[in-house]
Amino acid sequence: MRPSCIRSLIKKDALMSVRNNLILLGMVAGILFSLIYYALPSDVEETYEIAIFDEDSSQFMSILSMTGAGGLEFKVYDSLEGMKEAIEKGDLIAGIHIPDNFDDDVSAGRSPTLSLYFLHGASEDMMDTFEFIIRSGIEFLAVGQEPSITEYEVLGMDMAGRQVPLREQSLPFYIILALVMEMWTISTLIVEENALGTLRAVLVTPASSSDVITAKSIIGVVYSIFVVSVIMLLTQSIRGNFLALFACVMLGAMFAVSLGLFLGSLTKNITGSYVYVSVPLIILIIPAMLVFIPDVSLSIVKFIPTYYLASAIGDVLNSGAAIAAIASDLFIIAVIDLVFFLLGIFSLRRRYS
Amino acid sequence: MIIEAEGITYSYGDLVAVDHISFEVDKGEIIGFLGPNGAGKSTTVKMLTGQLNPHEGHVRVLGHDVAKEPKAVHERIGVCFEEKNLYPRLSIRENLQFFADLFDVEIDIDALLKKVDLIKWADDKVETLSKGMQQRVMFARALINDPDVLFLDEPTDGLDPISADSIRKIILAEKSKGKTIFLTTHNMSEADMLSDRLAFINEGRIVALDTPENLKLRLGKRMLKVKVRTEKGFKEESLPLDHKDTPDRAKELLENRNIATIHTQEATLDEVFIKLTGRKLEQ
Repeated sequence: MRPSCIRSLIKKDALMSVRNNLILLGMVAGILFSLIYYALPSDVEETYEIAIFDEDSSQFMSILSMTGAGGLEFKVYDSLEGMKEAIEKGDLIAGIHIPDNFDDDVSAGRSPTLSLYFLHGASEDMMDTFEFIIRSGIEFLAVGQEPSITEYEVLGMDMAGRQVPLREQSLPFYIILALVMEMWTISTLIVEENALGTLRAVLVTPASSSDVITAKSIIGVVYSIFVVSVIMLLTQSIRGNFLALFACVMLGAMFAVSLGLFLGSLTKNITGSYVYVSVPLIILIIPAMLVFIPDVSLSIVKFIPTYYLASAIGDVLNSGAAIAAIASDLFIIAVIDLVFFLLGIFSLRRRYS
Repeated sequence: MIIEAEGITYSYGDLVAVDHISFEVDKGEIIGFLGPNGAGKSTTVKMLTGQLNPHEGHVRVLGHDVAKEPKAVHERIGVCFEEKNLYPRLSIRENLQFFADLFDVEIDIDALLKKVDLIKWADDKVETLSKGMQQRVMFARALINDPDVLFLDEPTDGLDPISADSIRKIILAEKSKGKTIFLTTHNMSEADMLSDRLAFINEGRIVALDTPENLKLRLGKRMLKVKVRTEKGFKEESLPLDHKDTPDRAKELLENRNIATIHTQEATLDEVFIKLTGRKLEQ
């Protein structure tokens, strides 16, 4: 390899890419997308407001407020219709209708009847939790004792009281999106060099195929780090353990480059490359997009390499995780980087020879 | 010898593109490779310049085995490709500067652009240039490292007659400086005008290799064309120059005093090629 050739190739690729409107658009779009951050809520609503229509001033209502442990707020309605209308409009997420003979039924040992109403789209978890609170309240009313669950232990990091707002949860998405766009830049540079026939002209000079691949890899890493840094500055998200953050960004940049090299080696035709790249591009964004789709838990995303990158970035930025805490994710990303890099080099060298 | 090709062969699958060809080119010589499309000219150039490794045989350029030491060869050669392969979003100057940087040479790019009459457009992006202008940029690029050997693949393709002529003059000027030039073309008059020796290539094989004069003398048909006035108008008679009866018949016509025009007709390379291969160059 010749450093002077690599330098010249980098200079040329930098000029060629900033003069390519599509590449420039991809880069700018990746950065501008991060401005969605400011449109998302910056805090977490931790209190649920529950509607109550109590026909006969039942004792159950005071018990409920005690059982809800401060996470619930109750709003009393005068009529069942009024309560149902408020829930349907989305003013509250759930409502309880306590019939007039409720206390009597409980004290007589009869099974009481109680109606619950939920806002459409309420999650199953939320409905289960709510039902549990109701059952606990009824038990308390019946036996005069608090429910038997008196101690609890949080396994893993206890986020009670410091839940991460959606805005902060979305940060890995912008970074992954920008990296994936850089992957597209690299593959375009690779394909273009072939499609224009300029690669032939370069390879009959002192420059070798290794010089060409090295130059494009360096351009890719620099662009990726630049774009990610701009996004982090725009979203004011340079925080947490710096070493862990740096490792995530570097491995992410290398991921963009290695996959870009590999995908770029698959076709000689620029239009064909858009097909080769756009499908992986969409798939790779999915793990980072899940943050915008609450209650969707797809174990299949674990087969998408960016899942581990998104997870590591999220842990560093939102939980202050250090290198040790994200070591397994980083290891997986590093292995994926290496595999795609070797595949890309092998495939490109075959094409260039 | 500057170029030595020994039994080089290359196949694309079952198709043998170049079939055991051998030749040598001396310092300061221009060798023209003439042949129709698909005859194997470009594949030969690719093997000579290290873009393809021969499946059989060896190529040595400037004393280096091209397959084993390609970069030692690339340092000292210039290649002008048949297809336009410039960076469209870079200017002419940026394109040439990039290649000068790859060769790590300091060069007066303006002087080079003046030579190919492109100085006025030096800072224009290549994508805005005409095909002929791009061809001249490619030719200038081939000269960027002041190479000892020039490989020129259809260097005047797409050029207007004046530009083509100026490129030919540069080629001859490079030859006069002792540069060796490997020229592939299907333009017979260009090959005739520039080449010291010509190789006719057909279906991957060299079917003739000699000076243009020798090829025409050896394989062409030299004629004497005489147009004679008659009572009904004109009558043209063609006499083969090498035929035993021609001197007597020519004398007879001259004594007749009815000759309107008389001239000799040389054999053309096209005729030589047809005679050798049974096909036309343009096919």
